[in-house]
Amino acid sequence: MALSRRLLLLSAASVLPARAFAAEQILAGVSGPLTGPNAQYGAQWKRGFDLALDEINGAGGVGGRPVAYTFEDSQSDPRQSVAIAQKFVSDPRIIIELGDFSSPASMAASPIYQRGKLVQFGFTNSHPDFTKGGDYMWSNSTNQAEEQPKLAEYAIHALGLQRPAVLHLNTDWGRTSKDAFAKAAAALGAPVVATEAYLPTDQDFRPSLVRVRDAKPDSLVLLSYYADAALLVRQARDLGLKQVLVGSTSIYSPKFIELAGSAGNGVFCMTSFFPGETRPEVRKFVADFRAKYGSDPDTFCAGSYDTMVLFAALVRQFGPTREAMHDGLAKIQDVPSVIYGKVRFNAETRRVQAANYKYLVIADNAFTVWDGTKPARLGL
Amino acid sequence: MTALLQVQGVVRRFGGVTAVNQLDLTFSDGELLSVIGPNGAGKTTLFNLITGHDAPDAGRIVFNGRDIAGMPPERIAALGLARTFQHGRVFANLSVRDNVLVGAHTRLDVVRRSPPIIGPAVELVLALVRPPGVARQQEALAAEARDILGLFGERLLPRLDDPAFSLSYANRRRLEIARALALHPRLLLLDEPTAGMNETETAEMLGIIRTLKQRGLSIMLIEHKLDLVMALSDRVVVMDDGAKIAEGPPDLVRNDPAVVEAYLGHSGVGEGSVGPASPSSSPSSLGQRDLPVKRPGPSLSRDAGAPYGRAL
Amino acid sequence: MGSWFDYTVNGLIIGNIYALLAVGLALIFGVSHLINFAQGSIYTVGAYIGWTCVTYLHTPLPVTMLIVLVGCALLGMAIERIGLRPLAGAARIAPLLATIGISFVLDQVVQLVFTPDPRALPNPLPDWRLHVGSGTIGALDLLIAAIGIVSAAVLFGFLRFTKLGWAVRATALDRDAAQQMGVDTDAVNRTVFAIAAALGGLSGMLVGMYFNHIDPAMSFQATLKGVVAQVIGGMGNVPGAIFGSLLLGLTESYGVALFGSSYRNLFAFVLLLVILVLRPNGLFAPSRQAPPEPLTGTFIAPSKPVVVPPFVVLIALVAAAVLPLVPNIAYVLQTLTGAWLYAILALSLTLVAGTVGQISLGHAGLLAIGAYASALLALDLNMPVGFAVLSAGVITALLGTALIFPAFRLRGHYVSIATLGIGEIVGLVILNWESLTRGPIGVSGIPPLQLGGLALDSPVGSYWACLAVLVALALLQKRLLGSHLGRTFRAIRDDDVAARAYGISLNRYKGLAFAVGGFAAGISGAITAHLYSYINYETFTSQISILALTMVILGGLGNIAGAIVGAVALVSLPELFRFTAEWRMLLYGVVLLLLIRFRPQGVLGTV
Repeated sequence: MALSRRLLLLSAASVLPARAFAAEQILAGVSGPLTGPNAQYGAQWKRGFDLALDEINGAGGVGGRPVAYTFEDSQSDPRQSVAIAQKFVSDPRIIIELGDFSSPASMAASPIYQRGKLVQFGFTNSHPDFTKGGDYMWSNSTNQAEEQPKLAEYAIHALGLQRPAVLHLNTDWGRTSKDAFAKAAAALGAPVVATEAYLPTDQDFRPSLVRVRDAKPDSLVLLSYYADAALLVRQARDLGLKQVLVGSTSIYSPKFIELAGSAGNGVFCMTSFFPGETRPEVRKFVADFRAKYGSDPDTFCAGSYDTMVLFAALVRQFGPTREAMHDGLAKIQDVPSVIYGKVRFNAETRRVQAANYKYLVIADNAFTVWDGTKPARLGL
Repeated sequence: MTALLQVQGVVRRFGGVTAVNQLDLTFSDGELLSVIGPNGAGKTTLFNLITGHDAPDAGRIVFNGRDIAGMPPERIAALGLARTFQHGRVFANLSVRDNVLVGAHTRLDVVRRSPPIIGPAVELVLALVRPPGVARQQEALAAEARDILGLFGERLLPRLDDPAFSLSYANRRRLEIARALALHPRLLLLDEPTAGMNETETAEMLGIIRTLKQRGLSIMLIEHKLDLVMALSDRVVVMDDGAKIAEGPPDLVRNDPAVVEAYLGHSGVGEGSVGPASPSSSPSSLGQRDLPVKRPGPSLSRDAGAPYGRAL
Repeated sequence: MGSWFDYTVNGLIIGNIYALLAVGLALIFGVSHLINFAQGSIYTVGAYIGWTCVTYLHTPLPVTMLIVLVGCALLGMAIERIGLRPLAGAARIAPLLATIGISFVLDQVVQLVFTPDPRALPNPLPDWRLHVGSGTIGALDLLIAAIGIVSAAVLFGFLRFTKLGWAVRATALDRDAAQQMGVDTDAVNRTVFAIAAALGGLSGMLVGMYFNHIDPAMSFQATLKGVVAQVIGGMGNVPGAIFGSLLLGLTESYGVALFGSSYRNLFAFVLLLVILVLRPNGLFAPSRQAPPEPLTGTFIAPSKPVVVPPFVVLIALVAAAVLPLVPNIAYVLQTLTGAWLYAILALSLTLVAGTVGQISLGHAGLLAIGAYASALLALDLNMPVGFAVLSAGVITALLGTALIFPAFRLRGHYVSIATLGIGEIVGLVILNWESLTRGPIGVSGIPPLQLGGLALDSPVGSYWACLAVLVALALLQKRLLGSHLGRTFRAIRDDDVAARAYGISLNRYKGLAFAVGGFAAGISGAITAHLYSYINYETFTSQISILALTMVILGGLGNIAGAIVGAVALVSLPELFRFTAEWRMLLYGVVLLLLIRFRPQGVLGTV
């Protein structure tokens, strides 16, 4: 049953790093939400990490030493993430930090990591200023300045939409994404006709959708996470909106299908990670993930999996020290990634470039690769 | 004697009930006036109106030449009007001394600055810095507080630093009077000062009020114990159903048929219990000469005001 | 215009949902005078019971509803029996805190049992939709409306026509009198909690089906909206709660129509404040009330504070000051630095809530004002950091007091609700006032803490700086409490009516207290901003306000040493429980409940 397996996992995760390999393990510190409102994302991270570690340590670890992580719960709360940062910095066994989840929690801790010369690898931090915190702040999060123009191309060139309206999360991520999308859309000759920013806690979107509808868009672009995107899609259909719906990569999750139900059919989206891809590393990841957890991985799992694989590669190439992590990130090349294909960092921006995007459409309650059919245009 | 307080045509209604109905009253400087009447007659409502805790629906209340009807209680207090409360409202967590000192609040030099923001800011700075002048006044007031409490003999002095919640009911009533005296009032309103006191304590209180009167203090008194009223009052006003039904020297009023009718006439409930909240039902040896209580249930809420914010 | 019709329909649909939440809260408040902060958690539990039934037992809807009703009624009774009845004799603030603790524990249990992932709760009703305007109304909308109306009607009947209902109403009017007349008030409480919890659980399930989405974090928002709705209708007033909910739904919908989605909650909280200020007892209460009874004993129970001997304080202070000399304790220092900053916040709140008796739930708003003021002064005006922090304190004192001013005329629980609203408004204004605050992007690159040329950004430096500020502010507050202002504040707390009778202007002294408190909170927020280097509107959430209040109550209201002890305890406990991973917040909640149970007046007692 789900419950007992979870308990087992939980005890394994907390005990393993501490006891099983004792002195010789190569340790990453993870700061992220295990409780509190964002706990779901921390839970996804763990799945990706654990799967990657199964592989790495199953193959004998790195240089005969096992790789492990210690996960400290920050609740995505800056007060706790700074204490964790100090804890990690003071712990010589930890050679890299992964996380935190939200920008306030991550960026509040940045000065401590920078001062402690411990790499803070924010693998979900797309805030444009995150890596500006110092030369120890790195991220392989997909870059909105790069991703949104692709989404605009998909919506406007590929799908032929002319009057997009944008609904976005009113967070640093959503706002950055919206600005990038609006700029790209205008450049492509189809300026955004309406934007609505909503709060992460909102559940009722009917009035927002009516407001957007009054601008007579031919499509709604959702710069959302999967849970709010599902609510948006359902309520749009309940309101009788027939516009084409397009989502950013962050709505890609099996949970979206579950939460949106049949209203999700016909939604277009883009993803940097797609289980249906034929690349061998993706096929292996998806197969192993299904075997271990009985469900499909989402973007968050893929991100944490990629990150752990990258960590092992860094240690393998540059050695198990903090300085090696910092120097290695600037040099490392061609690490296999389920999101990017091959990972390489821009030493200036300390971010990854050129994610590998796939165009999808939901049909029969499943994400499928878009076959090139343009959606039926509204008679607007 | 000049009129210190004039109440003219004052009306206060609560929903359908008229608690005070077209009341006229004149109070002279230096006088001791008692207001009597059955429970629910509107006596406490009248006190509330005079002291600004409630605003009249109509009428004028002139104190010392100023119309104070509807003025907030803190401003009325600053004009020199002090009151005690029917149920003994001391500041439970404050010491006996601090309770008296709160009474002297309007006399503090640091409080007198009134321009908004600047006044309070100066008060704050003076409270923190405590220059010699401020400290001196504090000490003087603390000494005065002891003197005032000395009026009650050894009842309160040994308990100077005890929190008020630890006091007996009678001692809380005494403390209320001490607090009122610290304001140096022009007019003192006492709402049933002997409620819940036994015979000895009542006699003691009578002596104290008499002393105050002899010192020239103007006092308006609500009281159920007729002995006390007869012994102290210069003049008695009798209220029933919100209206004044009789007025005059104690002896005259006592034999007024309208007064007797008001007390004994309309209802046979007599000495029924009013419930735990009313001190006036506490046992007293002056029993038969006390004013019997009329209409127990609803009258309580009229006298004391409806409970705060309770509706389902 | 057609859209306005759609906005109206949409407002009524969501108002309908709020109504289910508000009715249970109103019932409990009417009888127990308690804002049940656990109501949102019961709502979550109800949703998950429903999910379990639908997913594993495949029960039809009526059976699912019945199971949810019974399950949550039992839960409500258990909460009443275990969590609240033992506190019957304590000050009313203790049960309030207990409901916060219970809410904490329930949320954590749900998260541990069902995982934090959101889940779909499919709606089993036929997919039948009625076209209204340009949108549609589904069978579930009608079911929710029907259940709202039927439960209000059943409640009305129960209260009017049954013996137990009379007992409930009698208890609501006067608990002591009811008890003397032989009413079993324990039974009444139990009944009320059972009914309210059953309603709450059912609404959780229905709302979950409506959105096809449930997750363990949904309880706080539910409580918040339910409380707002019922305050609008008049606290404790059941029909008022339904009306208030619909009004809230409409206001939000029209607010979105006029200004867009990010103003939605701003409208909700402004409506709340306007109603509180104009109609402090809700829309349905008569505007002219009889003079109020004292609130003595409502919040603050008489208690004797623990006297901490001066040498103990001195030893603690010296120990705290020399702690950084111990090697390798940077993590402990960082945690304690956080504790000192919270202690400054708690000092502020213990003055306002403890000494003056204004239980504020909006202190996070003051932190945010201080943090933004200092960050923007330092970044945009290049003000030296030390000066910026000080200015932020003054700005927060002035701005915070001005914002809370409308709430000065309120008493008791209404102050808490109003300040909760004001705190939310501050966050939302920060989010929306982009030209000043940089909106959702937040303020990054805030310069680190320094004084003159002295950098204080090392763990030891910031530790000492925060400790020094804390000690200075604590001494200042001690001196304040020893002056005439201390007794004036406490007089207002103990009996504001009697205080006014002795010439104490409530506005003046509440204003002074909030100004002093605002200064301290502003300083705390400002230092936080410089330590974090990045802040946005989510850095200071309402959860921080609740945490600060918990610290203050736990330490003892008005108690300076207590505020510091409370802050250190509540910041350290979750850190100490780190080894328990996902279980730590549950443990924390349980410890909190135990403390309230055995020390309701606070560890060091009320001053």
